[in-house]
Amino acid sequence: MKKQVKIFITLVLLSLGAYFGYNYMYQEHRDIKEEKAVVSISASELVTYFNENNFEKVLNKTVQVSGIITEIDDKNITLDDKVQCSFDTELNNLNLNETITVKGRCIGFDELFEIAKMDQSSIIK
Amino acid sequence: MKNLLFAVVFLSSIFSIVNAQEKFITKSGEINFEASVPSFEEVKATHNSVSAIIKSNGEFASLALVKGFRFKVALMEEHFNENYAESSTYPKATFKGKVKDFDISELSTDDKEYVILGTVNMHGVDKNIETKAYIKKIDDILFLDTQFILKPEDFDIDIPKVVSSKIAEEINVSVSFEFKGKS
Repeated sequence: MKKQVKIFITLVLLSLGAYFGYNYMYQEHRDIKEEKAVVSISASELVTYFNENNFEKVLNKTVQVSGIITEIDDKNITLDDKVQCSFDTELNNLNLNETITVKGRCIGFDELFEIAKMDQSSIIK
Repeated sequence: MKNLLFAVVFLSSIFSIVNAQEKFITKSGEINFEASVPSFEEVKATHNSVSAIIKSNGEFASLALVKGFRFKVALMEEHFNENYAESSTYPKATFKGKVKDFDISELSTDDKEYVILGTVNMHGVDKNIETKAYIKKIDDILFLDTQFILKPEDFDIDIPKVVSSKIAEEINVSVSFEFKGKS
């Protein structure tokens, strides 16, 4: 009887370990769309964080940015020539010069074009 | 006085013609890298918003924000950013160089082979590379494709023994850019 209890407990522990181990290994990606933005600002304000060396507050964080669409291609838009927002799916129904608010993950500042970049973007309005 | 003004305008217009380098740009270039080892979990990442500029004299520069590399497995992405690339300390990977013997007027709609020479900077370390690249031009779009191999050790990136059997020593990098003209 005692031996059976021991085997039972060992099995339970093993399966718990496997369960948590698997969940750790294959944890979900961040869901940027569902995350709350840490700041809600204009496109040029996002660039200011980088110019003032204050970027820890926004880097790799979910941010919400507003501006006028100055460039569009398949999966990207640029706001006020300052922030590029990349989307995971193709865009449609957007027009140049439209004012828009976008939520996404800020991935850094690109010195080649002097723009901040966001990925996993979604349109708020 | 009028003649002098005329001469200045004339000379400066010549100067600007000489200086006019045609420029092609992209802000949504693609870079993939793979360091998979057979029978282990695939080690592969994709970046879809890499910036790059190529000038008609062959000068070429590119910048990838390291946090933009996306992996299938979230934990792998976390380890890549926190332990290996240390992307909060070194947020950018760059390339600066030149396409050898580049002549924009020679481009056609078929791939032409070129050699690119330059320096990759990643994890704060410079590494010179030389790679073959294929370039073509269709309408106003310039296509550039290249593949090369990088080694983590060249960039002072230590891969702990525990995981080193699951990550290839040579990382295959493939680059695909579609440049649009910009005056």
